[in-house]
Parts: sequence; C-alpha cells; structure tokens
Amino acid sequence: MNAVEISNLSKNFGAKQAVCGLNMTVPMGAIYGFIGENGSGKSTTEKMICGLIPTSGGSIKLYGKDYTDEAVRAKVGVLIEAPGCFPGLSVFDNMMLQAANLRIPDAEKEVVKVLKMVRMEGAAGNKYKNCSLGMKQRVGIAMALLGNPTLLVLDEPLNGLDADGMRIMREVLTDIIKDGKRSIVVSSHLLGELQKVATHYGIIRHGKMICEMTADELDASCRTYVALQTKEMNRSRMLLGCKYSRVEEDEAGYLRVYDLTTPEEIVSYLYENGICVTEIKTDKIGLEEYYIDLMKGGK
Amino acid sequence: MENAVNFESVSFGERLGSMLKVDFRRMFKSKLFYILIGCALVIPILITVMMTMMDGSVSVNPQTGEETVMEGPENTWQSIGTLPSDGAEEGEAATMGGMDVMAMCNINMMFMLVAVFICLFISDDFRSGFAKNLFTVRAKRGDYIVSKTFVGFVCGALMLIAYFIGAMLGGAISGLSFDLGSLNMGNIVMCMIAKIFLMLVFVAIDVIVSVGAKQKAWLCLCGSLGAGMLLFMMVSMITPLSSTMMNVLLCLAGGALFSIGLGAISAKILEKTSLV
Repeated sequence: MNAVEISNLSKNFGAKQAVCGLNMTVPMGAIYGFIGENGSGKSTTEKMICGLIPTSGGSIKLYGKDYTDEAVRAKVGVLIEAPGCFPGLSVFDNMMLQAANLRIPDAEKEVVKVLKMVRMEGAAGNKYKNCSLGMKQRVGIAMALLGNPTLLVLDEPLNGLDADGMRIMREVLTDIIKDGKRSIVVSSHLLGELQKVATHYGIIRHGKMICEMTADELDASCRTYVALQTKEMNRSRMLLGCKYSRVEEDEAGYLRVYDLTTPEEIVSYLYENGICVTEIKTDKIGLEEYYIDLMKGGK
Repeated sequence: MENAVNFESVSFGERLGSMLKVDFRRMFKSKLFYILIGCALVIPILITVMMTMMDGSVSVNPQTGEETVMEGPENTWQSIGTLPSDGAEEGEAATMGGMDVMAMCNINMMFMLVAVFICLFISDDFRSGFAKNLFTVRAKRGDYIVSKTFVGFVCGALMLIAYFIGAMLGGAISGLSFDLGSLNMGNIVMCMIAKIFLMLVFVAIDVIVSVGAKQKAWLCLCGSLGAGMLLFMMVSMITPLSSTMMNVLLCLAGGALFSIGLGAISAKILEKTSLV
C-alpha cells in the first residue's frame, strides 16, 4: 500500500492551470522529496493532499482511502508555508489548541515532549509573535509532529532554521519513518539538505511530474566526474577540452571532466603536456546539480 | 498485510467535542471576548446615568431657535425594551432631535456587537493560518460551522446577560424605578430568553459572512453589520418586554432555522473554496 497515490490531478485558478495531470506515488515509510521551481505547483499539490483547496480533477488516495476520509485525514500533520499559530497566544497555548484539535488525551505531556524534540521547551511561555523566524519554524514543526501523524506534509520546513535546527529536523524526520508505516512529503529548495534524508524524489515542472525516483536510482543516475586543479588552469582546460567531450570549471575553481576516465589518465596526459596537477579527486554530482541539469533539459 | 495501517473512525460527537474545546479555549484566552463582555456591562450603566443626568436639559437649535427638552429614562426596564403603556408617552420618550435614544441604545445593540466578536474570531483562524491545522485533520466542515455558531451564541448570550446586569446597575445608580406596571417578572424572563434564542439568527448570519470573507476581517465586519442592520429593527418587535412563551418559541424556531439553513450553506462554502 502506498501512503499517497495521486492520479491525473489538476487544479485551475481561473484560466491558469497550476497543476495539470499530475501523477505521484509516495510509498509507505518514505521521505519523499518534492522538488520544483517556484510556482511549479508543489504547494498547490500539497494543499490539495491536505484538503485545503478543492481539486479541479483527478484523484488523491491516502493509505488506499479517498483523501476526504475522515479517519485518514485525522492522522495527517501539516506545515505549509507558515506555522498556523495565533500571534497573541503563547507557544504553549498554541500547541495546546492544536492538541485539543487532534483529540490528544494527555495533551500537556505530549506538547512538552514535542517541544523538547525541537528544543523549544525553554520558550514555551513566549508569545508566538515575539519568537524569531527560526523559533517560529520549530514551533510549526512541533505542531505538525503532534499526535504522531501517519502522514506528514511539510512545505519548506527548513526555512529560517539554523545549522542545529536543520540537524534536529533531519534526526526527527528519519526517526519518524523508522517503523516503516509513516511517511513524509517534504518540499524544499535546500536540495543539499533534502538529499541527506530523502528516500524518494519527485520533480515537478509547470504542474506536471517530470520524474519520480528512489534515492538509489538518483545515485545511479548522478554522473561521476574527475575534479582537478593545476597551476595553469586555462591551458589545462584547453588541453582537456581537446581530448574529452565535456570539461567545465565549477564555482570552487576546479576543472571537472565528466567523461568516463580515471584520475591517473588525466594526470599523465597533463604531465605529458608539461602541466603539473596540484589536486585531483573523483566525485559525483549531487541532487542540486542533477536537478539543474534536468531543468535545463540535459542529464 | 503486515504493513497495514489502522485508522480509527471518528464520530461526529468526538469531532464536534474537540472543535468546541479548541474554540472555547480560544474564546476564554482572547482579550476581545473580555473587552466585549466589559463593554456590554459598562455601556448600559453609562447610557442610563448620562441620560438621567441630561434629563430636563434644554437644547436650542441656533438656526430655528426651536427648543428641545431632553427627557431621560423613567424606568430601568427601558434599557431592555419599551414598556407597553405606562412608560414614556408616545413620541416623547427620551427623545433627542426626534430620535428615541433609549429605543436605539438598548440591549438590542448586543446583536450588532456580537458580529464584531464572530467576524474577528473566524477571520483570525484564517489570518493566523490555524485554519490549515483545523481543516487538514477535518475533512467534514460541518463541525467547524456548528462549533463557531455555538461559541458565537454563547458569547452573544453572555453579552445579553452582561448588558442586563449593567442595565440593572445603571438603573439602581441613577435611582430609576424598577416598577413593571402591568407586566410581571415572567415577561422579563421570557423577553431575555427570546432575545438569547434570537441571537442564533444573527450569529448564523455573521458566521456565513465571515466564512465567505475568510481572512478579510473588514469585509466580514461590513457584511455582518450590514446584514444585521436589516434585521435590527425587528428585534424590538419580536422580543418586547411583554414577551410570552409564544415569543420564545418564535425566536427559537427562527434561530434553529437560520442556524441550520445558513450553517449548511456555510459548510458548502468551506468545501468549495480555498481555505488558505
């Protein structure tokens, strides 16, 4: 059984088609990285999954049941755009409201537990409006985690988080899916961070799913390259460009050779041409580069 | 099927119970609620005391030279409604520039004031984004509407009671008569119960307007107050001081009809429109 199964989903805002014929499958126990450009339809899709906006067509199934099923929806945790908190109430009061909404029996204990998870127990008495951006985001995450949701839908949960916050977030997310029954749909533009936790990916463009894959499949698709630095970078680039089909200089100032080759072969080729290699390594392109390549239309 | 996930079905009662818990918790934590209750308590005291102090004062129109004598309330119950016969004489009761001040500034103002509470209470759900938390775990919108209507009704009823207490205090402070004339205490009780039930009609209107306008609080307020104005003059006719069981039943039927009918439409609006 899949946690989320979407087929032929569409959403129109007047004449504008935000999502058109989208198909998406989130397996149980997956952290599904939902990636796309701004305005590609990620948030709209997530809002439809949560029933916050009506669909224009297609179907959404959560754990095999229609997304309007009351029992399934009662176990969905959400953080879309900004945390839904009342600014005039304290963090604790906001959490208690959500606990009441979720019919959590031992609410106070559960709220304290979740606030501890996101290291916000010390700020529970603070008014929400006085919290910093990062603190607000942590509260939002805590709110989404309340009541042990079976499905978590998180839209840009890493926004505003510091390094510690991101680490906590990674730990929390990987911990949630340990039992193999709970699933997470998470969209983020911080692809490097997303790659550290995601087990599956879905890439959306102009409201259509252009690619769905597992983390292993992504790993296999990501090209390896040899990165090097020499004392004569321009000449090295020219020489390597004559022999290899794709040679690029990256932001860190390394020359990248994407063709299937070995560092030894490159070192000896440059040495024969009187160039001394100062640094060389083999690496793989990450999710970010894979995504940029995909958006450009190449691979 | 070792990986199957079991979902417990949730009854309407459980859903409504949790929604009411959220709304009541919010209501009792909100400053707005206490401010409005405070206003409901203080307004009648101020009006009664001021009107009594102004009793007999003469104002002259500088253009026409016409003199108007201010007449204050003669009876405490005028804050709740007009006494049928032995109150102020027709056309002369506490008039100011041809306007019957006590007929306008009485307990029926609470039907308008409750709109402020409901509009801000509902629009805050959408403005803060808490609506996302609510509606993600609630596929059925009916419990939201029922809960909001009930909370609005309770707040309205408390405001009416606060106004009643304020009017009695104001009457006592101003030394006004508590004489009921041809009426009895039963009529006053029936009048208050009828007003409380009639509150449901206004609350249902306020809820549907607020649900339609969502985060636009100004639109909620304008819509609710505008719709309330249309019905405002009817309140004194439907719930006079001489109310009987008939008036109570009439208000109860109207309240139930409006809250069920408009409530169903409100739920449909929530189903068909974007909630974020």
